[in-house]
Formats: sequence, structure tokens, C-alpha cells
Amino acid sequence: MSDWKTFVLPAALVLSTSAPCFANVYLTTDQAQKLIFPGASCTPWEGKLTEAQKKAIEKTSDLRIRKDPQIWHVSGGGWFIVDEVLGKHEYITFAVGLTAGGAVKQIEIIEYRESYGSEVRGDQWRAQFVGKTAKDPLRLDQDIKNISGATLSSRHVTEGVRRACAFYDIVLK
Amino acid sequence: MEKRFTFNHLAASGLGLAACALFAGNIPSARADENLFGFVRGAETLPKGHFDFYQTLTLRTSKDAGVYRGWDSDTELEYGFTDKFQASIALDNRYIYNRGVEDLPDANHFTFGGVESAMKYRLLSPFKDPVGLALRLEGGWLLHDEVGGLLEHEMYVAPEVILQKNFFDDTLVTELNYGVEWAWGKDPAEQYYKEFSMQGGAGVTYRFAPNWFLGVEGHVRSEWPLFNFGNFEHVVVYAGPALHYARERWWVTLSYNYQVYGHGVDESARSQTFAEETRHEIRFKVGFNF
Repeated sequence: MSDWKTFVLPAALVLSTSAPCFANVYLTTDQAQKLIFPGASCTPWEGKLTEAQKKAIEKTSDLRIRKDPQIWHVSGGGWFIVDEVLGKHEYITFAVGLTAGGAVKQIEIIEYRESYGSEVRGDQWRAQFVGKTAKDPLRLDQDIKNISGATLSSRHVTEGVRRACAFYDIVLK
Repeated sequence: MEKRFTFNHLAASGLGLAACALFAGNIPSARADENLFGFVRGAETLPKGHFDFYQTLTLRTSKDAGVYRGWDSDTELEYGFTDKFQASIALDNRYIYNRGVEDLPDANHFTFGGVESAMKYRLLSPFKDPVGLALRLEGGWLLHDEVGGLLEHEMYVAPEVILQKNFFDDTLVTELNYGVEWAWGKDPAEQYYKEFSMQGGAGVTYRFAPNWFLGVEGHVRSEWPLFNFGNFEHVVVYAGPALHYARERWWVTLSYNYQVYGHGVDESARSQTFAEETRHEIRFKVGFNF
């Protein structure tokens, strides 16, 4: 019996001494708003997503909605959306700025909790999304290039932007 | 004179390594090629330029008679040469405690197992392609066998095919392995000089909470001494649960496998085999990413 206890001890101690989360918070929501829509003011969207809309977004974007995104209407036209997608083990929080016509103005990674794959924060990779709308495929290796070695993050962020565009197309337009 | 080594030393070593890495908080790290299972491998590879350090402890215990505990410690370093190709080298150590097991001399000793090396090449990504596919080649030089810690001079090569399919935004992961092994120099630890074996594994695991995966896995192994398919030795099937937890810079996996079926030519019991196998296999892995 003592052997069993001894065996489990390393695992138990490792888990019980779990280090605090090393989440990398790159931007606050407010900072992301100012980066994407400098000088504009944002008003929280008070709308409520219906079940039918939710299903339509999921069907169009081919991605499940696990949690409703936060949405703001931007003065002068446009939308600011903060959403999450799954990382390998935790969530990646990102912001999408949409023009009044629903085209991607800019995306920003707000919080990235995976230590590898943070190349999705790179300017060049994020620039691929500019001008994309719900009519675009927004799929890896089609209109969005993959980052080798960070495929999961690249794919999930791309899917998240596709869902944000679908959200605009179905709910906000 | 043979060095005495108790399991407490082994556990303390593993714990020490874990503690060191936990507090190495400022080390940049990768997360690929985490082992979601204890025995089954996935098709992911390390990103280029990144290291993984693994410490694996395996307890093989319980035979049909006597008291048997075989501890294996594998200390492994892995490096991603490209985003698709990785290679590793591992040191094996064994602690064998054995009292009254048939056909096995009593033992209570620590032995150096040997050196193993492996390389893995990913052909298809489980995150992008319809199915993840990787080829793995392992080879090693083993100085003491894992059953009794007895002297041998084994060299082996073991090619393997690895498949991985993910579902539901990569929250459900399935993995399938199939490989073969040619080994030479197994005597005098075993009766025969050379042996051919087939081995496979399959697992399915689900991310039930952030950072946590819980699943089941199974693995099968069958052996033919002298590379002769007319000279069947035994087949064994293990299955059981696997729990995986990961943080940004490290992960741990705990797996328990029970021998659900075994058959050996020299044994009367047809539902389990114990000449080279045990009733329980418990594996604990910890990995650190650099």
C-alpha cells in the first residue's frame, strides 16, 4: 500500500502546487478598442441572441458558440467584438473590429494563455483578415495562411473571426 | 557491487525535477507533443527549435504468484528540428522487486536499463488535415531486461505509424498506433536470442474542463521469438483510464492499464499471461517545455 501512496505522491504534489496561470494579457478591452477605432467611442450592444440566430451563426461559421461575445457599437459606424476561441487547453481572447459594412477592419489578440503559437499576434498574419467579410471562406490554407508549428491557434482564431463576421451578417446588419 | 535503489529515491527524483521546472517560470516554452495518454502516442510534433523534457515512471505489478514490482524510469529529451520532425534520446533505469515469482530469480535491485532514441515525422496535421498522420522510428540498446532486470545486450528497432483524429474543436482526441519491433541480443535474460513483436494502441480522451483531459486507452503486444511466426510466444491486451492535466509550461499524465486479456504458450491460464507481463501497468509522465 505504501508503494501506491508513494507513486501517487509526485502527481498529487505537482497538481496541488499548480503554479498561478501564466496568462499573457497583451491588451485590455479598452486598449484594443482604441487600437482598432482610435478616437471613437463605443456603446455596448444591448441585443440578445435568439436560439435561431445562434444556430444560424453556428451553421454559417461551422463553429459552436460556447459563450456569447461582447459587442459594442462604434460611433461613426462599425462594430467592436470581443470573443474567445479554444486554445490547446485554455481560451484565446481576441477582438475584431468590423466596418459599418461588416468587413474586418483589424483584429487584436487580447489574451493568449498558451505559451506557444503566439505568432498569431504577428502583424503580418493578422493583416490577412483585413477586408474579409462573411462572404469570404475565412479558412486556413484557403484565404488565410497557416502558421507552421502553431496550426491549432491559427485555425481556431481564423474560425473565431469567421464566427464574428457571421454574427454581423445574421444579427447586426 | 550493485547499487541499492529504493522507490522512494525514484519518486523523490521525479518530484524534484517537477519542482525545479515549476519554479522555472521565466522559461519560454512550447506545448506541442504533449502526451494525452500514458501508452498511446499522438501525431503532433514539437515546433522547430523547441525542447521537451519528459520524466516517465511506470509501475508494472502483480503476477499470478509471489510479489512483483517492476519500476521503469525513462528520462527523455526531445527536440524539434523542424515543425514536422523531432528526435529524442532517453535513459532508462529500472528497479525490480521480486519475491517468489515462478521462473524468475528473487530480486531487489536497481539496474541501468539502457539508452533509447526515437524520431518522428509528421506527414499530416491533426489540426488542419482530415486526419493527423506521423511516422515514428525508435531504436535502443538495452543492458538489462524489464522483467527481471537481468543482463542482456539487446538492440532493437521499432517503426510505428501514428494516426490522430480530433473532433468538436479539438476537445475530443482519438489516437491510434500500430508498430512492429525487431530485437536482437535478448539472451541471457530470455530464452531466445532474437524476437519479433507487434504492438498497437488506441485511445480516446475528452477535454472536460480547461486544462484537463480524461479518457481511456488500451494497448496490445504480441511476440514471436526467433522472428518466426510459427513460434508464437504470447499476446497481451491492456486497457484503462488516462488523466491529463496541462499548464503553460508543463503537463502531467496518469494512466492505469489492466491486463484484460493475455495468452502465453507456456501458461495454463488463458485469460491472462504473466511470464513477461503483469496484471497492472500504471504510468505517470511529466513533461516540461522549453
